[in-house]
Amino acid sequence: MSGVESTKDMRKGEDVPGSSLGIPKADDFGRSVSKIAVAQICESVGYQGYKESALEALADISIRYLCDLGKNASFHANLAGRTECNVFDIRLALEDLGDSHGFPGASEIGNCLVGSGIVKEIVQFVDTKEEIPFAQPVPRFPVVRSGKLIPSFEHMNETPPGKHIPSWLPAFPDPHTYNHTPMWNERASDPCADKIEQARQRRKAERALLRLQQRLVCNGSTGTCASSVLDAKTENIQEAGSNPFLSAPLQQGEKDVSEVVLPAKLSNEVSKGDHISLLDAFVPAIDAMKTGPSDRLDGEKTFLPEKRPSVQFKFKTGKKILGESLDLSLQRKGERSSTFLLPDDERDDKKKRAEFILRQTTEYPMELNQS
Amino acid sequence: MNPNPQSSDGKHDDDSALSDFLASLMDYTPTIPDELVKHYLAKSGFQCPDVRLIRLVAVATQKFVAEVASDALQHCKARQAAVVKDKRDKQQKDKRLILVMDDLSKSLHEYGVNVKHQEYFADSPSTGIDPASREE
Repeated sequence: MSGVESTKDMRKGEDVPGSSLGIPKADDFGRSVSKIAVAQICESVGYQGYKESALEALADISIRYLCDLGKNASFHANLAGRTECNVFDIRLALEDLGDSHGFPGASEIGNCLVGSGIVKEIVQFVDTKEEIPFAQPVPRFPVVRSGKLIPSFEHMNETPPGKHIPSWLPAFPDPHTYNHTPMWNERASDPCADKIEQARQRRKAERALLRLQQRLVCNGSTGTCASSVLDAKTENIQEAGSNPFLSAPLQQGEKDVSEVVLPAKLSNEVSKGDHISLLDAFVPAIDAMKTGPSDRLDGEKTFLPEKRPSVQFKFKTGKKILGESLDLSLQRKGERSSTFLLPDDERDDKKKRAEFILRQTTEYPMELNQS
Repeated sequence: MNPNPQSSDGKHDDDSALSDFLASLMDYTPTIPDELVKHYLAKSGFQCPDVRLIRLVAVATQKFVAEVASDALQHCKARQAAVVKDKRDKQQKDKRLILVMDDLSKSLHEYGVNVKHQEYFADSPSTGIDPASREE
């Protein structure tokens, strides 16, 4: 039984260091060895098993007892003016620790050191208790590892740089580890070429942004695009001669403009009510295109025609008409663009805001690129 | 101190007893290994090349631990006897003597060491109070 128990204790002791969670501490080996020893002592007393926490506590206390004995003994030795302890120091230390519990002869003063009650108790203990050697051979610990030293001047076969430095001192580190050498930028830089390259990239970004704007404008309103373009066309034609602000509004039928075929929905609406101008019909759509879903004109429902109408309009020049003229008009004449819409105060404010934003984006594409 | 000639003889007897004891220590192997004792004594500043003194310290510690363990064993047996009085059928199960934290703390309390096991559940207002003052 005792053999089995001791092996169980052994296994317990061996398992603990391996299965311990967390960082292994420096004292783990000593603690586990003492746990095994304490378990053996408990077994000799009569215990058949133990709880892990209780055994750990008892092992910790026994280690503390051991350390306290050593401290007290060295204290007494130092008190007597010695550095090495002898049996009397140990006996005094034992008495100090046993004071709280009491031992025979504690109250006697002038007692001879060798006749101490405690020592007698220990003698009794040794005589009565059977000898239980420790279960496993314990190696010498802690293991002292020889440190890795920096080679000396002699080792490196170097002569020390100064006469005041003896050769047995550690050598200096290699000069490349502490000398600072300047660093050169290998790439040749041409400031002119860089500026040109920068301007080119900016122009590229501008063009790409413009194209994106056109696409958005077209997708926003499939029908109004044509009408607004048409209006812009008429204005452009007019402006050739006179100040557009002072020119009289065109009378119906004065100018030969091509008819825009209204989509089915719109034509139905128009036929129902009175004749409304082209602009009136498309104002809400223009609003939607410019400022997103905002308040409607007199509670009118905004709708965008699903089907793209077939439009006929005169082309001024071949390239990039659809969105470009609109944007160009916005760019060049900020205030003018409001003339091809109904003069309504709220809408003008919104329009102005939108035009400002658009101008910002086209004039400063760099910010857009960076964001 | 004591000029009594009898005590001087006694002193010599004690002297020889002590030296005999120290000699006998070499034969006795304490349960706590020498290396462990040497390590912890070196940690606390105890300097001694003599092996007998190391053994003496080891034996003293062993004696202390054995005393604490035997006190705890008494508590454990007392507890089992109390339980057996109530239920006879538990006699079979509780034959094993196990070192538990409760018994250990009770026995260590007499030596002036306060060891308390952390309670898992705080399910009553009296949790964590010193068991002596707690009403059972």
